[in-house]
Parts: sequence; structure tokens; C-alpha cells
Amino acid sequence: MKKLRTGMALAATATFALTLAACSGGDSNEGASGDAGGDEPMGNSLTVWAWDPAFNIYALQEAEKVYQAEHPDFTLDIQEVTWEDLQTKLTTLAQSQEFEELPDIFLMQNNAFQKNVINYPDLFTDITDSSVAFDEFPEGVTAYSTIDGANYGVPFDAGTAINAMRTDILEEAGLTLDDFTDITWDEYIALGEQVLEATGKPMLSGIAGEPDTILMMLQSAGQSLFDDEGNPTITDNEALSTSIELYSEMVEKGIYLEVNSWDEYIASIVNGNVASTINGVWISGSIQTAEDQAGMWGVTNLPSVDVDGATHFSANGGSSWAVSSNADVALAEDFLSATFAGSTELYDTILPGAGAVANWLPAGDSEVYAEPQEFFGGQAIYADVLSFAAGVPSNNTGAYYYEARDAVGAAITQIMGGADAATALGEAQSTVEFAMN
Amino acid sequence: MTSKLREVPKYAFLSIVALLSVGPLYFMVVSATNTSQDVLGSSMLPGTNLIANWQSLTEFQDVGSAMYHSTVNAVLTTVLALVVSSIAGYGFEVYHSPNKDRLMWVLMLAMMIPFAATMIPLFQLFADFGMVNSAFAVVLPVIATPLLILLFRQAARSFPHEIIEAARMDGLKELAIFWKMFVPTMRPTYAAAAVITFMAAWNNFLWPKVILVNSDYQTMPMLISNFTGGYVIDYGALMLAVLIASLPTIVIFFVLQRSFVAGFTGVVK
Repeated sequence: MKKLRTGMALAATATFALTLAACSGGDSNEGASGDAGGDEPMGNSLTVWAWDPAFNIYALQEAEKVYQAEHPDFTLDIQEVTWEDLQTKLTTLAQSQEFEELPDIFLMQNNAFQKNVINYPDLFTDITDSSVAFDEFPEGVTAYSTIDGANYGVPFDAGTAINAMRTDILEEAGLTLDDFTDITWDEYIALGEQVLEATGKPMLSGIAGEPDTILMMLQSAGQSLFDDEGNPTITDNEALSTSIELYSEMVEKGIYLEVNSWDEYIASIVNGNVASTINGVWISGSIQTAEDQAGMWGVTNLPSVDVDGATHFSANGGSSWAVSSNADVALAEDFLSATFAGSTELYDTILPGAGAVANWLPAGDSEVYAEPQEFFGGQAIYADVLSFAAGVPSNNTGAYYYEARDAVGAAITQIMGGADAATALGEAQSTVEFAMN
Repeated sequence: MTSKLREVPKYAFLSIVALLSVGPLYFMVVSATNTSQDVLGSSMLPGTNLIANWQSLTEFQDVGSAMYHSTVNAVLTTVLALVVSSIAGYGFEVYHSPNKDRLMWVLMLAMMIPFAATMIPLFQLFADFGMVNSAFAVVLPVIATPLLILLFRQAARSFPHEIIEAARMDGLKELAIFWKMFVPTMRPTYAAAAVITFMAAWNNFLWPKVILVNSDYQTMPMLISNFTGGYVIDYGALMLAVLIASLPTIVIFFVLQRSFVAGFTGVVK
């Protein structure tokens, strides 16, 4: 009887204890090795993890069709996973060594590529010697997924930055798109004051505490938060301090509207509260949801920062396809090289279908890119974007990109609150150095 | 008259609080009928875009399947959690001993371990059992929660021990005492526990996202998360998805509302 009574309390807690007992873990080192699939005969099915049904998943479905033309039995099993969840899954699988749960191919944010390959090399397959012609992509883009000279990713979504402007608002201030082309940020600020005075509208908007705009300025000058050896260069970085000064000046003068969230940022654009936005070309999808603004937009290049190596081109975001360590490597490589790294037909379909701009250079020769876009006042913006893409300087994101980004974001918040810039950046530098050690 | 006047500030204050509570819910409902641009413009008037939002929502997402999987997971979790935790809470109180008190302390301390710390070993465990993508893998880690055990232990404390003694005298077995006497008396506690567990299970996100590797098994919170993961977010369709996902918890709460309060304030008076 006593046993039964004790048992009643214990049995119920046993399930809970089970969850804790798992802490001891088990030795499961049966993870697939990097090139195990290479010698095996090719199958006819691949599993892919990606996010965004209207963009990445749509592109995959079109790629499946393109590949099926030559391989009728081929099927693609596309699993929708948001980027944040994909990163959580990868981390969980890598740390628990359960590699057999990995798909064949997964999409990875360019900025997170270095970090993942360096921290979890067992998740990836080195595809340097595959049939993918990496020299047909801009160097600045393949650099994201190249670690120690080895290629781990096929670039897909271009994060090429555009300066998208409301031509009708500019007109109210007596200005045109040409006035904002090939200018410096100082000139941009002077013109921005003119627009603000005439229309009451700021030029730009962005999320307070998120350094996207500043990092785009930085990359346009060929600089990043790390040097070539991967050491943080937040202090003694002339391009960064100049960019922060420009940003502060714009906020103070009311040219740059700081908002609190992504939703507010998009709202400021589609509700016509700002005269322009500077972001990766993918922002054009959100801009075009404001159907009442059709024909009122135009695209030009970015203002340049007044330092050595300055250009009018930059990038924000973008993603690449990675082949996992659990893949049918031969099939995955063949699929990628025949589609995202080899099919103008694919890019001709997904550009008008989803606004997906190619990184693969030969796709740019297609006539589809030269077609005028009605929403952008008849401008052939995709041809322009491709010409911008060729000029984007490469920058080293390093394994600690997100840590550095967050630290700089925090520093900018402090600086905007009146703190001394050198001190705040010094703190950011030590935060990143601490994270790295 | 003066007493009525004195009521004015009270009602004014309560009206403001009520407005603040209901406002976001109202916004959610009207936004489900508006276009993405209207939602971003904070339009508070109902629109005519409901059907378009539904089409946009179902174009890429299988809402029926997500609702089905959410329901299976939440119902399974609620039933199992109620059975397991109530037996445990009853056991802790009725068969009281100093060692069980110590065990209770361990359980309470375990409440403080964040889930992120146990997630990876837990995944490893379920992967080794071949339970990835199964509903049981979603449910098992959350059926014995210290909070519910504590709730049932408190309920058992108010349950007169004389009744148990009398039942034993009459020859009722221990489990029969539990099922035939404790469970029917503690219905409001079960209702309160059911509301908490169902809501938590319905909204559970991180663990299902990790263990349900195949997106065919995705639940409503995962579907909503997918909706915000793209470059272009359709806020109208998103709000419709949020509205649909909220309905079951709202219904459960209203059905069990009366018992919910009684369950916390004590049953046996």
C-alpha cells in the first residue's frame, strides 16, 4: 500500500524528471560526414528549407520546373521555415549532432553565413569543386559564403541597395531623381532640407537602434566592422565615425525619421510619410503594395560617404543556398548549377513574378531586365540594379557580424541620446572583443 | 444624487481601462477585413477586403492542417497534463511526508530552469527515440508542469481528509477515492487548469518548431510566424490568421470562465 502511495506522487513527476535526465545526453556521433553522398548514385528528390512563399519558395518551385524539363522524375520537397526558426533548427541539430534531420539544401542569410560555417562546419558540404561556376557571380556576393578559400553557398537573392524615391514629392520641392544621382551624403542632406521645407516630409525612415543605414554607408565605402583578419574595427574607423555623424545630422535636422519597428518603417513608406527609402532591392516588393503610388517612384544609386574608397553602391541582406552535410550532394550540386547558377529561363520567370533580382551575372543579359517597370514611372529599374550590383564593394562579415551589429546599434542609441561618440564606440568594440574571446 | 456623482470617476476610469483592453482586439477584428495598407494606416473602420485576405492567407498556407495539428496537440496536452498533474498534486498532499516536501522543492526549483537550457538535450532524447515530427514529442515535455502540480496540491489541501478516511473505512480503494470523490469535487480546479494548459499548449511555439522538423505538421503559431518571415508582409491576411488562431482560446475561456475564478479562489468552502 505504502509503495502504491509513494508511487502515485513519483510516477507523475517521473515524466518531468525525464526531461531533466536528458541533460546527461548520449554519445550520438553518427552524423553524416561532409562528402558521404558524393560517391553515391544520384537520387531524384531533394528536400529544401527556405522562407517566404512569395519570394524564395516561389523561386524554388520555378527552379523545380526548370530542372524537371531535363529530369522528369525529379521532385523538390520544399519546407517553409522562417529564417529565425531555420537558425534555431540548425543550432539545435548541430549541438545535438542529429545531422540526419538536415534537409539537402537550406537557404542562409548572407550575413550569417560565415558565422554558421565557422561555428558549425559539420552542417555544410564544401562545394568548391562542384559544377557551379562561382566566377559568374560578383565577387562581393560569393565572399559571404566563401570561408578560407572554400565555397559553401550558391548566391541567390541579391541584397543590392537602392535609393527608391517618390518623384512626385521631389517635384513639389522642385527636384528630380537626377539631382540625387551620383551625389555625396553632404549634398543629400542639403537637398533633404529643401524637401523637408517644401513638403514637410523627411527623406528617410528607419528603425531606431538598428544600424542598417549606417552599415550600408559603411559597405559603400568598402569598409565593415571587421578588418581582413576578422578583428573588430569599430574604433579608429573613419568611415564608420563619418557615417554615424551623417546619420546623427540627418536625425537632428528632421530628414531621417526614426521609428520603433519594422511595421512602422513599412507604414512610413506606403503611407507616404517619407520621400524615399534606402534599402536592399527586395524593399521594392513592399513599396509596390502601395498601389495608389504607382508611377510615383523612381530608383537611383546611393549617396557616397566622403572617405577613401567611397562608391555609390552597397548591399543589405541577401541570401545564398547551402548544401548540407546530409545531402544527396551530387544531385544537390547538379540542381543548383543547372538552375540558380545556370538558367536564364529561371531568372526570366522569377524577376517579373517576384521581383527576384539575379546575382548570376549571365542572367543580366536577358531582355526581361531591360523592360520598363510601370510602377517606377517606366524606369527599367532591374537593369539599373544589376549595374549597381557590379559595383558593390565586398566586405568581411566575419563570424561575429550580428554581435558587432548589435553593439554598434546600442552605441548609436547612446550617441543619439547625447553620449560621447568615441566612448560609446569604444564600449561597442570591447563588447565585441569580449564576445570573441 | 451625490452618491451617483461620486460613481462618475470610477466608471470613467473603468471605461478607459476597458477601452484599452478591448481596443487591440477590436483592431485585430477590423484589420482582418482591411487591406495591408489600411492596416498600416491604423484604420479603425471595417473594410471590404476579408475575402481577399482569406485568399491571400490560403494561397501559400494550409490553415486547415495547421488548425488540426494545433487542436490535436493542445487537446492531447490538456488531457494528459490534467491527469498527470492532478494525480501528482493529490499524491503530494494526501500522502504527505517530509521527503515529498523536499521533492516538491526540487520541482519548484526546476520551474526556474529556462526551456532554452534543456531544449537541445531534449531534442537529442526524442531524436534517439525516433519521435521527431510526432505529436507525442510535442506533448510529453509539457504534461507535468510544477505550476499545475502546485495548483492541484493546494486544491487537495482544502479537500477534507475526514472524507478520505471515511471512504477508506467503507472499503474504497485509493485510486477509487481519487477518481470518485476528489475529481468530481474539484471540477472548477480542473476547469482552471484546463484553461491555463490549453492556452499555453495552443500558443506553444519554440519546442514544436524545433521538434516538428517537417512543415507538414506545422501549428497555427508556426503558420503566423511564417507569415512574418517574408520580404513583403500582407498585414490584412496576417491579422485574419491571428484572429482565426485566437478563436479557440477565446471560446474555451468564455465557456470555462466561471469555473476559472472559482478554481483559483478555492472550491471547498
